[in-house]
Parts: sequence; C-alpha cells; structure tokens
Amino acid sequence: MTRNNTGQRRVIIITLGIAGIWAATTLKLNPSDLLTSNTAIIQDFFSRALSPALDYESQVPSGTDPLLVKALGAAWQTILFAAAATGLSLIGGLVFGFLGSSSLMIGSFRGGTKYVSVFLYATVRLLMTLIRSIHELLWAVLFLAAFGISELAAVLALALPCTGILAKIFSELIDETPRSAAHAIQGIGGSTIQVYFFVLIPQAIPDLLAYGFYRFECLLRSSAVLGFFGYPTLGFYIAASFENLNYGEVWSYLYTLFLMVAIVELWSSQLRAALKG
Amino acid sequence: MKILGGSLSLTNVSVSYRGVNALDRVTLALNPGEAVALIGLSGAGKTTLLNTCNALTKPNSGTVSIDGIELGKMGGRELKYIRSRIGFVHQNLSLVPNLRVIQNVIFGRLGRRSFFGGAKDMLFPSSKVVEKVYGILDSVGIAEKIYERTDHLSGGQQQRVAIARALFQDPVILLADEPISSVDPIRAKATISLIKNICKKKGLTLCVSMHNLDLATTMFPRLIGLRDGQLIFDKTTETLQGDEISELFRSPEDPTGPDLLTSNQALLKTNFD
Repeated sequence: MTRNNTGQRRVIIITLGIAGIWAATTLKLNPSDLLTSNTAIIQDFFSRALSPALDYESQVPSGTDPLLVKALGAAWQTILFAAAATGLSLIGGLVFGFLGSSSLMIGSFRGGTKYVSVFLYATVRLLMTLIRSIHELLWAVLFLAAFGISELAAVLALALPCTGILAKIFSELIDETPRSAAHAIQGIGGSTIQVYFFVLIPQAIPDLLAYGFYRFECLLRSSAVLGFFGYPTLGFYIAASFENLNYGEVWSYLYTLFLMVAIVELWSSQLRAALKG
Repeated sequence: MKILGGSLSLTNVSVSYRGVNALDRVTLALNPGEAVALIGLSGAGKTTLLNTCNALTKPNSGTVSIDGIELGKMGGRELKYIRSRIGFVHQNLSLVPNLRVIQNVIFGRLGRRSFFGGAKDMLFPSSKVVEKVYGILDSVGIAEKIYERTDHLSGGQQQRVAIARALFQDPVILLADEPISSVDPIRAKATISLIKNICKKKGLTLCVSMHNLDLATTMFPRLIGLRDGQLIFDKTTETLQGDEISELFRSPEDPTGPDLLTSNQALLKTNFD
C-alpha cells in the first residue's frame, strides 16, 4: 500500500517536473533577460531599500500632509476596503458554503426535497466557480468600465471572487467536521439549518477563522493594488512615486504594506491561540 | 402541545446494512415509566435498536411506534416534535467540544425552537433558560461548570453534560446507549443510579444499553438480551436463567461453548449458579 503510494508520488513529481521544463522551453525563458535589462533603474531602486524616504523627495504643494501621515492614511484606506470586502465575503461564504456543502445539501434531504437540494447545490457550486475564476483585479477593471470610480464597486470587485473561494473552502471544512454531534442534534429534532449554524460552524470556527484571516491578508494586498486604478489605497501612491522615480517613497509605502500584513498576521495568530484555549 | 405518555413498541423490526442483519425481526414493548436494560455483546445490535426508536435509523421492515403512533407514518413536523421529546444519550456523547456547557445543554431544546429562537437561546439565553439549565446541571451534580468550555471538563463530567442535554429535552422517554462504556466501575454504578433515579422521579420510560451484566441485573427489573440482531430474551430479572445469559454471550465463531468473555463467565457463576 505505502510502497504503491511512493511509486505513484514519484510518477506525479516526475510528470510535474517534465511539464515545468516543457512550459519553460515553450515560453523561451531566458535567464540572461534579467542581466541585460536596464541595470541602472534596478540599482537605483534596490539601493533605496535600506533607506526609505521619511519625507517627500520632490516638491509638494504647501499644506500637504507629511509623507508618513499620508502613508498611514493610505494604509487605513487599504484596510477599510479590505475589511468591507472580507465582511461581505464571510457572510456570502457562510451562506453559499452551506448551500454548496455536499453532505448537508445532498446527504440530509429525502424524497422530493432531495431533487431541489441537488439542483441548488449544483447551481451554487457552478456559480461559485464562475465568480472565483475571475480575479478581483479583473472584476475591478470590469466594474470601472461599467460604473466608473465607485467605492461600492471596488468593494464588490474584491468581495466577489473572495466569496467564491470562501464558499468552496467553507463547504469543504464543514464536510470534514466531525458529524457525531450534528447527527445527535438532528436525532432530537434539530433542523438542517440549525445544525449547520449552531453545531457544525462552532466546531469549525477555529479553521474558518484562520482561513478568513488568510483571505483578509490576500484582500489587503489586492486592496493596495486597487490604488493603481485610482482608489485612494497604497497602490495609488506607490504608482505616483514610482512614476516620479522617487524610489525612497516607494519603499516607504512598501514597508507600510509589509507592516500592515505583519500586524494582521500577529493578531490572527493570537486570536487563534485564544480560541484553541 | 401534545401530551405524550411515553410508551414505546417495536414490531418485527429488521435493519440490515449491506446485506448483514443488524436487527432481525425484533418485537418488544416498553410501558410508560418502565426501566429496562438492553444487554448484549458489541455488535449485537443495541445501538441500532436504540437508533430506530427515534428514527435515526429507519427499519427495512417492521414498525416502531411511540404511544401507538408509527414513526414511519409521521409527517416531518410531527416526527421533529416526537424526536425532541425522546431524550438520547449517545455512547460517544456527541457534544460540541469548543462550546460552553450551557450551550451544549440548550441544544436539547433546539428541536422545539425556531431558527431565530434557537439562535437567541444559544447566544443570549433568557434568565429563565439559564435557571432551568442550572437546575438540570445541579441534578446531575455539575452546576458550577455551567459556563466552562465543554472540552475542559473530565470525561465523567462531559458524560453528565450529555445526560443534562437529554434531560433539557424535557423527555418522556430516555434512551442511553452504553453510557458507562468508558468510565470506571464505581462511576459506572453512580451514573446508572443517577439516570435511574431521575427517570423514576420524573416518571420517564428508560432504556439503557450496556454490556456490564452485573450492573444490569442488580439495577434493572427487566432485561432484554440481543445477539446478532436477534432478541434472545425479554424477561424480568428474577425469572432469567443462567443458561439464557450464557446463550447471549456465546461466541459466534465457537457455538460449542460460552468462552467469549471470561469476566462475564465469572459473573454468571456468582449470580446464577
């Protein structure tokens, strides 16, 4: 059995390796590309990594907030967009995760209702696959074309694919949660929805939360990139400073982003430890 | 609200899993307020029998009735209500480990609450609910643990939480599946007398499955023996014969002699010879 598995694993690894080499040759990947490109810019840019700007590197109109205040403000905006989108997609993920959970939707209904639930299950799974196959930045481009600059559209662009991912992961986590308590509560009259929300979700909460935090971290980065489309998040200022060749400022914004993600990481690991208690 | 008497009857109930008979034409009846022990080896069909009593397992043939009403013929709402009035203590306890004791006990009422009513009870229980939970936890001796996380309790305490949840159902029938399989002998006796006394006081019909023959014969007036899904005997404890017990514990691989559980053999000698 184990011997068989190792054999299988070896075949998979070798196949993946061949596929990788084949893809690289098809794309004509050439390491020398990295050497012959504009070394001056690279040198300029990375030489500022250890000395990020503490003040503006070019003239700014008087009355402009100091650079660090501006960076923190942009970070705050980045967090706001990401938090709103995470909140929306957590709710969506829980609801659609329930509808897309095979054991709940297919396993616990009988007779006529079973066909309805199978149909609902399949529709939800398909819809979730659809919305998460389009990246949040692609959604942002689509919404920008449709609605122009709109905070709500930006939040929706972030939330849609995230809902698709969370629904998939949540339904899988729920399907893996031990069933004995759920079975018992159904045996004393609890409904499927009650069992999902009161028995299975509390049991899965440490995992759901850990994954929710990971998605929040991903959304923070995407929210920062939204700035490139004109939203007031970190990306907006990174793009502006980069264009003006103010690499020190770019590094200041990048370090702010890094700090933000690190703080979220710390916070989430503390919360998880508390929940494990 | 319907008033239930608490009588339970099985008529020719058979259950099979993948062609193997877990229960084979079992017929028995429990009167309201009666206390019986269901005995037999592991795999004899005790759990399956108890699970058919609240329709967790549906029989392939035969009928299960509560107060003369067939479970199989009930509508969804009626079955939900009946289930909510049949207390069930599972062998593996089936508690939610990372919730508080009070929340696990409140689960007992979920079957008679709406979705939002249940949510309110779980998150913001009224003082009336808290009082009731406290009273029940007090009756099983762990009132001070009401707000503890359930997985911080010892095995014996968790078992009491499971009993409290069943009692919070305000049941008319209490089914307990091997409630003492994982506790030491002294606690086992205490647990059985606790369940028995509460049921006696409240007039509940009680059916407990176990494989501790000694406790079953000393604590219960009526014993039901199962082997390989078949009813071997259903008798008052005084009329039970030693050879009927040895028939119950006979090894299926070795039909010549009862040599499966030596400890139970020893018990047979002390009790019946």
